[in-house]
Amino acid sequence: MSVIESDRVPDAADEPKAPKAARRGVRIRGNYVPYVLIAPAVVVLVGVLAYPLVDLFVLAFQNVNDYLHLSAPSLVKFIGFDGFTKVLSSAEFWQSTERTVLFTLEVVTASIVLALLFGLLLQRVSNWAKVTVVTALMFVWAIPQIVTGTVFRWLFANTGGVVDYLLYQVTGNKGWRTHDWFADSNQGLYVVVALAVLWGALPFLVIGINAAMTQVPKELVEASKLDGANGWQTFRNVVLPVIKPFLVLCTALSFIWDFQVFGQIWALRQNAPEEGYRVLGIYLYQQGLGSSHYSTSAVISILMILLMLAVLIFYIRQVIKIGEQD
Amino acid sequence: MALSIKGARVRPDGLRRSREDDAVGRRRWATPIWNAVAVAFAVVMFFPIYWMIITPIKTGKDLLSVDPTFWPTGFSTASFKTVFTDPNFLPDMRNVAIITVGAVVMGLAVGFLGAVAVARFRFTGRNFFIAAMLVVQMVPLLSLVIPMFFILKNIGLYDQGFGVILAYLVFTIPYVVWTLRSFIVNIPRELDEAALVDGCTRWGAFMRVILPLTVPGLITTGVFCWIQAWNEFVIANILLSSNDQQTAMVWLTGFSSTPTHGADYGSQMAGALMVSLPVIILFVIFQRRVASGLTAGAVKG
Repeated sequence: MSVIESDRVPDAADEPKAPKAARRGVRIRGNYVPYVLIAPAVVVLVGVLAYPLVDLFVLAFQNVNDYLHLSAPSLVKFIGFDGFTKVLSSAEFWQSTERTVLFTLEVVTASIVLALLFGLLLQRVSNWAKVTVVTALMFVWAIPQIVTGTVFRWLFANTGGVVDYLLYQVTGNKGWRTHDWFADSNQGLYVVVALAVLWGALPFLVIGINAAMTQVPKELVEASKLDGANGWQTFRNVVLPVIKPFLVLCTALSFIWDFQVFGQIWALRQNAPEEGYRVLGIYLYQQGLGSSHYSTSAVISILMILLMLAVLIFYIRQVIKIGEQD
Repeated sequence: MALSIKGARVRPDGLRRSREDDAVGRRRWATPIWNAVAVAFAVVMFFPIYWMIITPIKTGKDLLSVDPTFWPTGFSTASFKTVFTDPNFLPDMRNVAIITVGAVVMGLAVGFLGAVAVARFRFTGRNFFIAAMLVVQMVPLLSLVIPMFFILKNIGLYDQGFGVILAYLVFTIPYVVWTLRSFIVNIPRELDEAALVDGCTRWGAFMRVILPLTVPGLITTGVFCWIQAWNEFVIANILLSSNDQQTAMVWLTGFSSTPTHGADYGSQMAGALMVSLPVIILFVIFQRRVASGLTAGAVKG
């Protein structure tokens, strides 16, 4: 949600190069002005972001692992990489990481494929149908993650749940009628949680990808048809290159959303996710605030940031390049 | 866009599209099929929301039946009564409203200044600032909550709405700077200059030219910040501990996991509907602007 408008290509009107000198006349006085303008943002972000980040690193090298150490600062000491060794050698951490990676792979792939398909679909439908779809999607988009989790728990409930009922109606198999989706955490996580996350992500992705597709020049599509390209070839060679930057943004965003999934699981499992639902986000929360292992939780946080960085590094490089061109 | 469509209309006869195909060579007879698929998609996507609206007005008999009814056989307000008589519901709705307004107003004020700086000035560190605004948005909030918890505890803002407002600036400010920047860049510089030539001070030019022209951008950005702050759960859940300080999202998770309401899906859906209503209403009011705000970002990507 938060990086919605991030991947803008610099507009042509943005900072015209040639008449720059002439324009400088108005702006040359008061070089301090831009610094005054960004000062509040910088101060606030240092306070609420940079400082906590530093604190996170300090905490990761300390032994604040119970409430006693929190209340008695004299007991706190630095333990070097012991915290990291402990986390990296625990099976729980690796299981959570594995779950997170699998879940992310599954949901990101499904999100992008479905968003592309429905984006293409919206180009082929009549206007009224498109308005219907976009309106429905806008409502879905407004729904908070916690509400999504609560509603999906009800949809997939084993008594009175509508999904069980529909599956029972379709298959005629009585077993579906009271099927418990959450008993097996694999089903719960990779089916129910995945669907809940996907449902929440599709509005942005479908509307955005469709909007990007409308930017594909119609002449190019027509020309490719005249040259005898089939539908797939046209998509691959004409549409895809145009929407690629936005597609990269969508993939990066989906990765960010899905890798730190928390709210939906929390609401689906009624504040107490079982072990099988322990993705990294849940794990670090339970360690940190559930059992007061603050330092361990800080270590998990740092490892999580590093894992995300490792994947996002290519995307960040691109983003920084955009910032420089601008 | 408009140009290319016009271009297609005045094409020489030899290239005119055949009757069965539209401009892009798609078969017209297929359109009803695609329309049907699209409607099915819309129905599936909207169904959870329909279910959230329909469940709380069902009677107890409908709610308890093993086979769900897709249309209520009776009408009942009992579920809504349960929600409104919960002692924490209204205070928590008020809390989230205050926190959201605070985070949006502060985010817009601080972010707007930053956006003016990057859109209208060239200065050392500008590129770094822009890149930082983007990278910052990728830091997982979840990883920051533990140190935030410590810091707020130390400065005495733990379990207070104001602490959460400050924490929410982590995501509102970078977003506002980045989004408003593109709005301001699109205001022709000549307008500021004309104002300066006509005798406005810098401040006057800002107040009379840039600010009024950025209002649509401020509204769009404000709506997005509102949604993020209102819907946020992780930070609020950790930084607010007492029942009368919590936000509506925290209330909902607590309410749905109590033994009394844990299986009472009628009241849970009533609660879910009530806490999402302010955001839904906001979306309905600003629908056009929000949609164009989103697509504007998407299209240029």
